[in-house]
Amino acid sequence: MKGNIAVAAAVAVAVAGWVFAISWPATAAPITTNTALPVAKGEYVFREQAIFNQSGDDPSGLERDRRVSISATVLGYGLTRNLALFGVLPLVHKRLEFPGLGVTRQAGGLGDARLFGRYTVFQQNLPGQTFRIAPLVGIELPTGENTERDGLGRLPMAVQPGSGSWDPFVGVVTTYQTRDFEIDVTASYQANTEAADFEFGDVARLDGSLQYRLWPRELSDDTTAYVYGVAELNLIHQEKNRFLGASNPNSGGTTLYGLVGLQYVDQRQIYEVGVQLPLVQDLDGTALERNYIVRGSIRLNF
Amino acid sequence: MKKMTQPGSPMRRAVAALLAAMLWGATILPASAGTSHTIKVDGLACPFCAYGIEKQLRAIPGVNRVKVSIKSGTVIVSLRDGAELTRARAARAVKDAGFSMRSFK
Repeated sequence: MKGNIAVAAAVAVAVAGWVFAISWPATAAPITTNTALPVAKGEYVFREQAIFNQSGDDPSGLERDRRVSISATVLGYGLTRNLALFGVLPLVHKRLEFPGLGVTRQAGGLGDARLFGRYTVFQQNLPGQTFRIAPLVGIELPTGENTERDGLGRLPMAVQPGSGSWDPFVGVVTTYQTRDFEIDVTASYQANTEAADFEFGDVARLDGSLQYRLWPRELSDDTTAYVYGVAELNLIHQEKNRFLGASNPNSGGTTLYGLVGLQYVDQRQIYEVGVQLPLVQDLDGTALERNYIVRGSIRLNF
Repeated sequence: MKKMTQPGSPMRRAVAALLAAMLWGATILPASAGTSHTIKVDGLACPFCAYGIEKQLRAIPGVNRVKVSIKSGTVIVSLRDGAELTRARAARAVKDAGFSMRSFK
């Protein structure tokens, strides 16, 4: 019994130090972030994205290994020509192993859903190109379980499927698109609130995406599909997590990710895949470092 | 009277010839085509966005076919016989898709 308590305490302390910063699934042309391109009035856009996140560089010496799998379903709807509404519903599975201690803690299920609206406040359309600016505002809902338990007791928050808290977020998306390439830049901020004495640190993000048309090299009047090469950067800063009002020194920090990917785009569907790697990680204390993130998705409009 | 109803009578031959001509015309000659319009659209640069324009235009009564060219930024709208598409209606459809209409012909 005492041994189990000791292991649980060690795990809880070590695990709470993670930077919990899985980027929320995007809903349009970029793979990891948003676009200001239009969703036509009355049009639906559906996306199913699979994300696999591996973390294993452990500065604490506990040899922690974490794997997170997410299947995110996204539905967007053009309410008006300028206002699009989006809903994101994730299914998550989180697994944390301590090989040296022989301990594995895991949980799965519905994660925290997100609802947001995006409104185009400025657009300039020219032949074969468009420039747009669209702020967005939304909220992350506590639809995921945050009190899961196993044989060692209550799971640490970084392994729980949900946060238990209502977390608002705001952002602004800027898009410039031509027939040859597209650039999207998103700045966003999420304020994480407290639930069950725990509060994840707030997250500020700056995301950039470049999609460059690889095929066809020359367009014709019969061109109905593209293949894009995709390169993205994600700069993510998270504040320290707090428990019972006290901040955890082994949490929070700043990470710069880079992604390369491919997209097939035609009039009705998009297929895409990308690999994200941390280029720079400046994490506080013994927060667990990322190894890589793999993403793949399909998008349909109707 | 008897002569008129006999096979090969002039009246029967005339009616048969008329029916044959009508059937031949229906199968060989094309049906009367509706008009078509060419719309220049600004802001259109990728295939996935083109569907929004197509969906808005197809929702207009009388629209038979919509063909989008991303290269030239043009949309050719073919109408059913007797249908009409006004400049204002076309402009509203393009705007509701999130783009701008440059010209309408």
